[in-house]
Amino acid sequence: MTDPDIGSLETEMNRGFLHLLVLALLEKEMYGYSMVKHIERLGYKVEENTLYPLLRRLEKNGWIASKWDLREDRPRKFYVITAEGRALRSSLLEIWKNQNRILDEVIKENANVQQA
Amino acid sequence: MSSKLEAYLEEISHYLSGRNEREEILSEIRSHILEKAEREFGGVTDASLEQAIAAYGPARKVAERYLDGRPIIAPAYKRYLFRYTTLLFAAHSLLAVFSVVFKENFIVFPFVFIPRLGIIEVFMYLPTAFLTDLGIVTVILYFITQSGKDIKLPWPKFAVELEEVKPKREFFMSRIATAAGLIVMLALTDGALYLFSRYGTIFLVNLKNPRPLFTPDAGRRLSLIVIAWFAASTLALLAKLFTRSRWVDVVSNAVSLALISLLLRQPFDNLFAVAEFESDLSGIKFGVKLALLFIALMVTIDLIKNLVFIGRTKLAVSLKGHAEENGR
Repeated sequence: MTDPDIGSLETEMNRGFLHLLVLALLEKEMYGYSMVKHIERLGYKVEENTLYPLLRRLEKNGWIASKWDLREDRPRKFYVITAEGRALRSSLLEIWKNQNRILDEVIKENANVQQA
Repeated sequence: MSSKLEAYLEEISHYLSGRNEREEILSEIRSHILEKAEREFGGVTDASLEQAIAAYGPARKVAERYLDGRPIIAPAYKRYLFRYTTLLFAAHSLLAVFSVVFKENFIVFPFVFIPRLGIIEVFMYLPTAFLTDLGIVTVILYFITQSGKDIKLPWPKFAVELEEVKPKREFFMSRIATAAGLIVMLALTDGALYLFSRYGTIFLVNLKNPRPLFTPDAGRRLSLIVIAWFAASTLALLAKLFTRSRWVDVVSNAVSLALISLLLRQPFDNLFAVAEFESDLSGIKFGVKLALLFIALMVTIDLIKNLVFIGRTKLAVSLKGHAEENGR
């Protein structure tokens, strides 16, 4: 049997989680760099070159909106969640909670089996 | 502005060519890298920008994240590439043979144009035709893949699947058959070498009082080609005792085709040393050329089959590898 490749498995798992995380974060306006730093402070790491394409895809689908802020010397693109994005976030959160519940139950079942 | 940052953005831009939002993507990346350099690496300098760029990742990888990952040919259609190319090339080869035999052009505009071909030209033509057929099938499968539609393509079967033509026997059993073939070919090669060393040719008439069939020069040339052909077949059988690699067959097929083409290139005039054969020269010439052409066609079919087997095996291995990667 081959050794489990945690790195690629983690990437798979992160894909869905990152969608949800970004939709949750964008309840208030944020730009790319500030999101990367905010996520880092929460104890999670997102690759910069992964975040921006994700933001673009979410925007294309109408789940988030963006506008350029040109007031400072460096232009920044700010993102915020839309009404459709909030609806999607609710659905995704429901799925995520259900998955967590199922996983918890299976782990409890396994613990009971080991004790028996 | 740092030329390094501009060069980096230019490289990303190159990979993103054709995308409407390219400029906006680049502006956002530029803004991010400048802010990162300033906040994390102590200001916007060449050195800090270099660090920020390195952290952002190689340009090609960055660009790829923006591109949808649709393959050129969908994995499900890859097996059609070989099947359809084989069928198309078989039809193409048949028409090429017709163009030699009937001395006619074949045109099915705009798909096929086969000019009137000579025997030598047909060997030059077929590899080009194969690449053309492969290209045509690739383009069709590309457009089907890019359409994103779920199109069910017909899957023609040649009576039995290729895998069933040669069922996998035990290597030991197949080696016995190979060894028997090797003994026969060794005997033939040795016999030919004996005749050649004794008479200077292997083509003789009247075995009680042997006389050369061909003129000395032609007899020597033709004998050497045939002996080389026997020797190549013997070596291929010897190699097959130790390996099941189809590359052995491919090399053997290629050598055979080269030797057949050499035979066909030999001048057929003033060939025979025996008067009665010389008088029937035109009939013999036609018969020999037709027989050699038929053998060449059989060898070509075998060569294509072996190449298709190798291609399909490689494809199966790569698909398995992808499946394992995706499964991780």
